[in-house]
Amino acid sequence: MTAIFRPRPTLIFLGLLLILVFWLSLALGPVSLPLSDTLLAGLRLLGLPLDVGDTQQAELILGQIRLPRSLLGISVGSVLALSGVAMQGLFRNPLADPGLVGVSGGAALGAAIAIVGGSLLGGLPPAVEPYLLSVCAFAGGLIVTAVVYRFGRKNGQTDVATMLLAGVAMTAMAGAGVGLFTYLADDATLRTLTFWNLGSLNGASYPRLWPLLIVAVGVALWLPRRAAALNAMLLGESEARHLGFNIERIKLELVFCTALGVGAAVAAAGLIGFIGLVVPHLMRLLVGPDHRVLLPASLLAGASLLLLADLAARLLLAPAELPIGIVTALIGAPFFLYLLVRGRS
Amino acid sequence: MRMKTLLVCAGVLVSQMAVADALPQRWVSAGGAFSEWVVALGGEGRLVGVDSTSQHPQTLRSLPSVGYQRALAAEGILALKPDILVGSTEMGPPPVLEQLKAAGVRIEMLSAKADVAALQHNLTELGQLLGKQTEAQAQTAGYLKRLQAQADWVKQAQKQHPPPRVLMLLSHSGGNLQVAGKDTLAAWMIEQAGGTSLGEHNGYKPVSNEAMLALDPQVIIFAGGRLEGDAARAALLQQNPILAQTRAGRDGRVLVIDPTLLVGGLGPRVPDALSRLCAAFYPDVKTAGISQ
Repeated sequence: MTAIFRPRPTLIFLGLLLILVFWLSLALGPVSLPLSDTLLAGLRLLGLPLDVGDTQQAELILGQIRLPRSLLGISVGSVLALSGVAMQGLFRNPLADPGLVGVSGGAALGAAIAIVGGSLLGGLPPAVEPYLLSVCAFAGGLIVTAVVYRFGRKNGQTDVATMLLAGVAMTAMAGAGVGLFTYLADDATLRTLTFWNLGSLNGASYPRLWPLLIVAVGVALWLPRRAAALNAMLLGESEARHLGFNIERIKLELVFCTALGVGAAVAAAGLIGFIGLVVPHLMRLLVGPDHRVLLPASLLAGASLLLLADLAARLLLAPAELPIGIVTALIGAPFFLYLLVRGRS
Repeated sequence: MRMKTLLVCAGVLVSQMAVADALPQRWVSAGGAFSEWVVALGGEGRLVGVDSTSQHPQTLRSLPSVGYQRALAAEGILALKPDILVGSTEMGPPPVLEQLKAAGVRIEMLSAKADVAALQHNLTELGQLLGKQTEAQAQTAGYLKRLQAQADWVKQAQKQHPPPRVLMLLSHSGGNLQVAGKDTLAAWMIEQAGGTSLGEHNGYKPVSNEAMLALDPQVIIFAGGRLEGDAARAALLQQNPILAQTRAGRDGRVLVIDPTLLVGGLGPRVPDALSRLCAAFYPDVKTAGISQ
């Protein structure tokens, strides 16, 4: 597979695209604010001591609703896309997605336990409730991934094929657990669970944003340092080992980064499918398989795609909102098919 | 003369504005029963948005929908410039409510529980917020009187007949049938109308055909689908032939009710529905006195 475009202009283009989409995400919403208000409110939020009329509403909408939401979108999108690259590199399989090591399934189970269990216990103290869901989803993702990783270990080595199968099995088991809780749930809880499974950036707030933002920055700084190792692994595990890479350690790092990143993303925004599978694939078609370019390109494209999907999610049915998982699939899948067909001819 | 008229007009306007200022003028209602009450208390003109469960009366469907009550969107609601958001205690998610509050929207959470105390509280609250206290009081009194009359009637009827065993089935557009269990408005209505609800589980759960046959209900109440009346009854029996083998099926005692009745607590239409249930549960007892 060769690149269609040269790396540097592509990265610059993707960076500009992200800036544009970020700006759109701040400027557009169901509440139509005059552009001047948005600008002034933005400048005031940056700390400029402007004294210009009444921008209180604009400041509130920009600062408390759109900005945390957009930042959340960027974090979730980039983390999911990066994890996708890591998983596709680890399994040397373009069909791999972050769910493969069980992190999504585990997070879904954790969320189901929190949502349904909380309501079965007759409600929890309101101080705990908003965080319980995130903590349970995050913990569920980490635990299941750890179990999957453990299954893959044998004689001090990680067998990727075993890990893949263990991931499938654990995801199925987690699915059964979610099913059980679905059965136990009452109607209202059931719908909460359904909506959570489709993901949403709705209700983004700074307390929910910070943990993910830190994880996202960590993953985004760490994974590109492993680009050379990922490139070597494309040749095969033993070849990479002969090239001097500590393969076992790399595998652990990749799995850990994915579990941490996807776990945090899912905890903050629910299950958002498709980004982790398609964005890396798409970028591979555009810039080629070199991970030194592929990783940053996927980061930028994942963030842009998620922000675009979120724009559609909040504008299409306003004042109501579509779950974003529906939109990511609706935008991404046809484009993906188009690239596949084009690549073949 | 003209000047005087103008002044009077202005005076009236000002005094009305003063009253209007205190009361929320633009309402978003996130709960079927609450929307119905707002309409019943004469506040339909103030509704600027409703949630997806507010399907009745029909005119509400033309208002902007803010989606499902537990997945509200802050900015979408703010775009409607509401003064107040009314909904059940299940309304959410909490961060969105926080954001709305920060934007100056009054959040009023009411109980969607199926009990009389909650209803009284909700009506008083809505009456105050709409500036229609007297109407709210009258509605509450009338409502309670009807419930009481029905309870008395049921007591009389039960002296002559044993309470029928009732199964309430819920279906969403031809999907699997779900049986209403304990802690549901459906169970409350069955008991209130003098029946014995057969659902032993909590909430709404799917139940197998065989179990339904074993429960052998004397009356089936069916809520769901787009069809009404006889067409809904025929469709139910056609899709679930096993129901025709129950006693209710053999005796033709299958009653169809509007599923929007069961959403969001006691609404204004509940007493009418209860009268129908009473009449269906005790067909041999004269219905004078229960249907107002």
